[in-house]
Amino acid sequence: MMLDVLSPFRAWKNLFRDPVTVIDPLNDRPGAARYRGFHQNDVDLCIGCGTCEAICQNAAIDMVPVKQLEAPGKDSGLRPKIDYGRCCWCALCVDVCMTGSLTMSNEYKWVESDPEKFRFIPGVDKKYWDDAELGYHRPEDYHLTPHTRAEMGEMEADERISNFDEIVYGYTREQAIIEADRCVSCGLCVATCPAHMSIPDYIAAIRDGDYEGGLKLLYETNPFSQVCGRVCTHRCETVCSAQHEGDPIAIRWLKRHITDNVPAEKYAEIIGGKEPDTGKKIAIIGAGPAGLTTAFDLAKMGHKVVVHEANSGPGGMARYGIPEYRMPYDVLDHEVSVIESLGVEIKYNTRIGKDIAMEELQKDYDAVLLSIGLHLGRSTRIIGTDNPAVAKAVDLLRDITNGKKVKVPETVVVIGGGNVAMDIARSVARLQKQTYGEVKLTVTALEDFDHFLADPEEVKESFEEGINILDARGPQEIVIDDKGKVTGLRTWKVKSIFDEDGRFNPSYDETDEIIHEGTLVIEAIGQMSDVSLLGEDLTEKLEWSRGRIVVDPDGRTNQEWLWAAGDCVHGPDIIHAVADGHRVAKSIDKHIGKAKAKSKK
Amino acid sequence: MRELYEKLKTRFPLGEFTDQRDNLGFITVDKDQLRPVLYHLRDHEGFSHLVLLTAVDWIEEDRFQLTYLLSNRTRSVDVGLRVMLDRGEPVMETIHDIWPTAATYQCELREMFGIDFPDSPGVMDDFILEGWDDLPPYRRDFDTKKYSDETYAHREGRVTHDPAEYMKKQLYPDEV
Repeated sequence: MMLDVLSPFRAWKNLFRDPVTVIDPLNDRPGAARYRGFHQNDVDLCIGCGTCEAICQNAAIDMVPVKQLEAPGKDSGLRPKIDYGRCCWCALCVDVCMTGSLTMSNEYKWVESDPEKFRFIPGVDKKYWDDAELGYHRPEDYHLTPHTRAEMGEMEADERISNFDEIVYGYTREQAIIEADRCVSCGLCVATCPAHMSIPDYIAAIRDGDYEGGLKLLYETNPFSQVCGRVCTHRCETVCSAQHEGDPIAIRWLKRHITDNVPAEKYAEIIGGKEPDTGKKIAIIGAGPAGLTTAFDLAKMGHKVVVHEANSGPGGMARYGIPEYRMPYDVLDHEVSVIESLGVEIKYNTRIGKDIAMEELQKDYDAVLLSIGLHLGRSTRIIGTDNPAVAKAVDLLRDITNGKKVKVPETVVVIGGGNVAMDIARSVARLQKQTYGEVKLTVTALEDFDHFLADPEEVKESFEEGINILDARGPQEIVIDDKGKVTGLRTWKVKSIFDEDGRFNPSYDETDEIIHEGTLVIEAIGQMSDVSLLGEDLTEKLEWSRGRIVVDPDGRTNQEWLWAAGDCVHGPDIIHAVADGHRVAKSIDKHIGKAKAKSKK
Repeated sequence: MRELYEKLKTRFPLGEFTDQRDNLGFITVDKDQLRPVLYHLRDHEGFSHLVLLTAVDWIEEDRFQLTYLLSNRTRSVDVGLRVMLDRGEPVMETIHDIWPTAATYQCELREMFGIDFPDSPGVMDDFILEGWDDLPPYRRDFDTKKYSDETYAHREGRVTHDPAEYMKKQLYPDEV
């Protein structure tokens, strides 16, 4: 009680404090330090993801093109334009902003007679408060979406090195929910994905626990969803808006999570369904992602599709180029069985040019697609590469897939720094571990680690498995002893890879020489197509550019009956091959539909 | 804070306790236990001041939560009492007779959440939403965006673009 009586006198203690009132309130009326005034946007930081527009409860934000910013691939090219006739200054847009580019100044007094002036693009339409330091900024530790990716379980190095079992376990439901909840559905991933998979929608399906609906969405754009859920180059993740203040969403793992959670026997029922038979027949050469995606689409359109495959199993580069520990064969087989369930016929061990002539295909079918991948390894052509103890990565990877007994010696050197180099190195390391109990393998890459070609996780996992990767080493000569046996590889330190004109022309520091010990040297420096099947006539007729067949935007060659797609046209990338397959299928359907009279039995 | 909770527990049936920090705790009490607990806190524990009365819409659980925040000014300690209401029948006894200021909070909650406090003075008066005839706007099933779209005219000439579609056209100009 006493305190309550005395409390008015306590105010006296403030007598000598500085006043908090403004001295000249008529002229000087600054907003409070964290006042939510007119917006500021750092347009270089902004990625135009539109999350501000999506969260605005007053529909005050439009996403509009800003010409001077257009750099395809980096961001959407749009920036938020705010209608201050509707903005209620709640700052939800600032709180949700994925890059932190959008903030608010403490300026609020701006007056104009023209109402149109109150619609502008912050940061683009210059305003005097653009550089104001005070105003509302999202507090540093305040995030509406978590920044860290849900952890993925995987086998430890010493557990995985002695076998070819799949390394990654896949998300549990709990992990997937945590990861799915981080997505703001901006869709920059959809734009970037060559196949334009409906990523935010299938992530929403995970949230809702609707795996069958999710699977349906996946297969609308990608009949290799199980494959891509494991080994996709995931360009989607490189544009993900979540990466600017945290980890990008693990889109690839979420995709796999859906495919893991639908029973295998239900796939065909969920994905299937086709148009009535058209009586048209299409021949496809090569049962890889490009060929089989085309087959999938064309079969759904009601066409008869026969796929000719030189190997004994389906999947193309996805099977014969990617090791089983990344891409289990039974998953691939299941993927292909879904495509076969649509009536697609696959003839294995059938090599065009040997078992069937190209002309025969042209004669018997309404259209032919060439999707033959890149099964020939390139050589460095340094001295000694003609020795039998010098192998090409693609050949060895194919032998391993075919279950051939591949004999690896105790010491091996791999030339190359891309993902294929990592694939063969890690495969050989497993075989070494099985045979000798230890890994003795050196990878020599032309690029330095700052410009490395292989995925960072491949490099990291290779090191964990005991593989020695040396960067910036240029191969000079296969070292061969006087009995003709390979004993190693001689390399020089790379000074630069490209010359002043940007041409491939490495220069070396010859004083920095290393002999890498190895009785087998494997070249993994690139692949090319085996186009010998085309025959001289056709090869002559086709248009070529740098060893690849030239096609129009729809994938058609200059021969009206022949299309080409996949790695053999665009270089190695599964999701690109899938996108290619869709494009070509559409084009083939369009052209054989027109040419009805040409149909043969 | 736990001390106070244990002490109260000997007299009243209490729900969950949250020890927020040294001078702040929350206690869940049953609807019909609120008044006796409030009286006790005010008259015997020195919580003479009602700091605020607010609500949360736990739509997933089909409940409203009322929070009565009380302060003991001498000891600088605050305690919050949580009362859960059935969302389908959001009615609560008024406490304006204990703290007259509660009438204002109750008027606001009636307007913003649609929680009724019968016999609270002026509880049906407009608080800040004059002539409101829609769902109470703090209810989570109230669609703010839809309301704003329908209520406030859009300035002419506004055009927006879908970031995904716009970016796709730039990246893949050949696609139709």
